[in-house]
Amino acid sequence: MRTYELMFVVDPRVADDEVVTMTADYRHMIEAGGAEVTKEENWGRRKLAYTIDKVNEGKYVLFYIQSQDGAKASLPEVEHRMRQNEKILRFLTVRTDLDLKRAGSRVSVVEPPAPAGSASPAGPAPTGDGHAERED
Amino acid sequence: MGRPKKVFYRRRKVCKFCADKIDYVDFKDVKLLQQFIPERSKILPRRISGTCARHQRLLQTAIKRARHLALIPFTTD
Repeated sequence: MRTYELMFVVDPRVADDEVVTMTADYRHMIEAGGAEVTKEENWGRRKLAYTIDKVNEGKYVLFYIQSQDGAKASLPEVEHRMRQNEKILRFLTVRTDLDLKRAGSRVSVVEPPAPAGSASPAGPAPTGDGHAERED
Repeated sequence: MGRPKKVFYRRRKVCKFCADKIDYVDFKDVKLLQQFIPERSKILPRRISGTCARHQRLLQTAIKRARHLALIPFTTD
């Protein structure tokens, strides 16, 4: 079984409703290919670290995908469509099963950032901010 | 011969990921990655951060992924 994470950044000028329909579309595409979207996160509007196409913000959406080993790959198709969609500023697919298996249970905890969007369970934010040790 | 050896103590650096038992560095964990990108947004070298080779490698890919998605800057000027 393989797991993937697919994250994409949508142009902020696109309305929220449209982002939702886009997400649903991609979700259907992924599922039509025999994979399964196990989790979906909408991070909402977020400031970009640098300007992309003269745009300073983006709407982030994240899919967690699971597929069987033998299944026909639908992700290249999805990526192809994303590349052609000029409302999508960036996207990234990462295969995670191998790395996660290697890591075992020792995984950094990622809290879905607070802002907006779909229902995200409000957990206590980790406060430990040990900064990198340096000597000058 | 001669001079007494100068004794000075240096704080031992520990790999943060080994200490915190993190074996998968997630590109989405901006807060964590940010600790390894100083002012100019370059990747903090092992020499300074004390990260072990394996974790530095994982960290490096995570940072590059995060950069691609504009979660983290390439440079700041």
